[in-house]
Amino acid sequence: MRKRLRKFLRLVLGLLNELADQNAYHRYLEHHGQPDSGDAWRCFSTERFRARYHRPKCC
Amino acid sequence: MTHLVWGIVSVAAAFFLAGIALGRGESINSIWLVLAAVCTYLVGYRFYAKFIAVRVMALNDQRATPAERLRNGHDFEPTNKWILMGHHFAAIAGPGPLVGPTLAAQFGYLPGTLWIILGAALGGAVQDFTVLFCSMRRDGKSLGQMAREEVGKVGGGTALLTVLLIMIILLAVVALVVVNALRDSPWGTFTIAATMPIAVFMGLYLRYWRPGRVLEVSVIGFLLVLAVVIGGQWVSRSPSLAPVFTLSGVALAVAIIIYGFLASALPVWLLLAPRDYLSTFVKLGVVFLLAVGILLVRPQMALPPLTRFVDGTGPIFAGKIFPFCFITIACGAISGFHSLISSGTTPKMIAKEWHAWPIGYGSMLLEGFVAIMAIIAAGVLQPGVFFAVNSPAGVVGATPEAAAATITSWGFPVTAGEMEALAADVGEKTLLHRTGGAPSLALGMAHIFASGPWGRAVLGFWYHFAIMFEALFILTVVDAGTRVGRFMLQDLLGHVWKPLGRVSWMPSVLLTSALIVAAWGYFLVQGVLDPLGGINSLWPLFGIANQLLAAVALTVVTTVFIKTHRARYMWITCLPLAWLVTVTFAGGWQKIFSPEPRIGFLAQAAQLEARLAAGGMSAAQISETKALIFNARLDAAVCGVFLILVAVILTSSIRLWIRILKGETEARLHEAPFVPSRLSAEEI
Repeated sequence: MRKRLRKFLRLVLGLLNELADQNAYHRYLEHHGQPDSGDAWRCFSTERFRARYHRPKCC
Repeated sequence: MTHLVWGIVSVAAAFFLAGIALGRGESINSIWLVLAAVCTYLVGYRFYAKFIAVRVMALNDQRATPAERLRNGHDFEPTNKWILMGHHFAAIAGPGPLVGPTLAAQFGYLPGTLWIILGAALGGAVQDFTVLFCSMRRDGKSLGQMAREEVGKVGGGTALLTVLLIMIILLAVVALVVVNALRDSPWGTFTIAATMPIAVFMGLYLRYWRPGRVLEVSVIGFLLVLAVVIGGQWVSRSPSLAPVFTLSGVALAVAIIIYGFLASALPVWLLLAPRDYLSTFVKLGVVFLLAVGILLVRPQMALPPLTRFVDGTGPIFAGKIFPFCFITIACGAISGFHSLISSGTTPKMIAKEWHAWPIGYGSMLLEGFVAIMAIIAAGVLQPGVFFAVNSPAGVVGATPEAAAATITSWGFPVTAGEMEALAADVGEKTLLHRTGGAPSLALGMAHIFASGPWGRAVLGFWYHFAIMFEALFILTVVDAGTRVGRFMLQDLLGHVWKPLGRVSWMPSVLLTSALIVAAWGYFLVQGVLDPLGGINSLWPLFGIANQLLAAVALTVVTTVFIKTHRARYMWITCLPLAWLVTVTFAGGWQKIFSPEPRIGFLAQAAQLEARLAAGGMSAAQISETKALIFNARLDAAVCGVFLILVAVILTSSIRLWIRILKGETEARLHEAPFVPSRLSAEEI
């Protein structure tokens, strides 16, 4: 039971991190071999937002 | 054993559906609606969706998805299916499934409930699932690209133009919902106004102070928003501040137009993105809270299953159940906009083909469940209160006494005193004439949330919390939509003069932002000034447009099915397609040509012209009437353009289907080649 709860909470945290783009940011850092920094985040978010706000948002 | 469980679930689905459909004379508990939806959706998910996945799509986990083949750590990334399902659900759940069902509750709770349950299982979820499948097999291509490749250039161009036009109507109508919710409401207006500096603070925090800490800043932002919801009560009672935040409909419309322009032209990290993060978390949190609230409180439905307005004389919008119920509830049952999401980010993140089952089909069922909760929230209000909140002054009368008398004469008793007391309970001066669904939904939600130990003492907080939640994510649709519309327009204008297509050239940014804002702003102001409340004209127009986009998506999928030699299964998409074409063309025809002025745009223009010809109007009234005549004709033209665009894509597709089925033309598929998957379960 406790194992399942832990797994569920991990999933919820994973979802929150995905919605917050934090997972995508970590993937970006890994892919580019960069450490976490203000410049890295600004580069990542510029690319990320450009792609996201080119697509219509659902009603 | 499994067969027995599914047999019980299937019987339960039939029992609960029959219970709500056949029960008359006494009110039922909302849990019936919840159970009917849950059991039907489970059966649909387990049997119908699996049938489609196995027989029609032949999903294959051995085939590498675009996320695996084109993995780049950015757009293409294999993602855990439950996380991606939550992500996809957050993307498809907008204001539509909350507002549409609330408006359609004027027919009673039954038509909307049945449409949401059956429409989502047989139509909406099928569309989302099949479009996701097609895009997944085509490297995550968009609906427009797939339409161009599979149907032809006409299909692609038509899809692009349809999306742009729908966006303009969508932005106007959702902005109108916000205007009607915040008009003359200092508490609500202050709360929403305060979310702008909060978003800017979040943007600066993320950019310069704590880069990348989105969850952290979202928690701070949420606490600040809660503080301003509580502080709004103090503002509404302050003699100096209350007048500043008490705005008329036109003033609010202008404020939202300016906001839309700024959000489109300013750097996205400063305002738009942080608001979007905040709105996503608040939206998911409130939907979860509402589900828990309904399950714990299990309120009785006060609204009857069917009202007298099934005859088409409804005060919120005119028109009979067929076709208007099915147009009013688009998102929640079937929404064309979802096809843009299903062919957007999601197909690029699916790790295994079978994950499309819960993500594509399952997420839409969740959205249907949200729509059921909206119907329940509207249905727990006394019908008299529901109609007093939602009926425009032009229909029920401008004074509280006149409105109460008219609504009581319909058989839904309510008094002016009762409405005043309710308004005082939630910290408002009046709740009358707030057409648009948001305030009645907020009242219903507050009614459910306030069933706890503190009762009516916290009704005002919950009402304004619900208004804040709705307005926050509606405005996120407005700002993001304006920006996307600007990019689409820049794409188009770039063909005329290249510099206009450059997304970072400031004169082009300002010009195209202004053009898009002017387009939806025009319809917004038109709605605000409309004596019939604006929703009567604009919401059906939006519903028709959205359903037509769904028809375009289903047409593309049917074409793919035929090309892949699965024509014998084309009924799966043709069934909802035929229904949508029937509903939207019937609705569109009535909105243009109905002789009833409250329904037909042209009849409305003719009636106003006759009034003008009769004379006896002041100069101001003449100019106002002329504007209304122009608007009615413009709405008729827009509706006509929608119908023509879809007729074009439908005709060209049907001709293609016939040629392929007769063997007169080669079925050229644009599917990505099979590559074996090497992705292990541990990696996802």
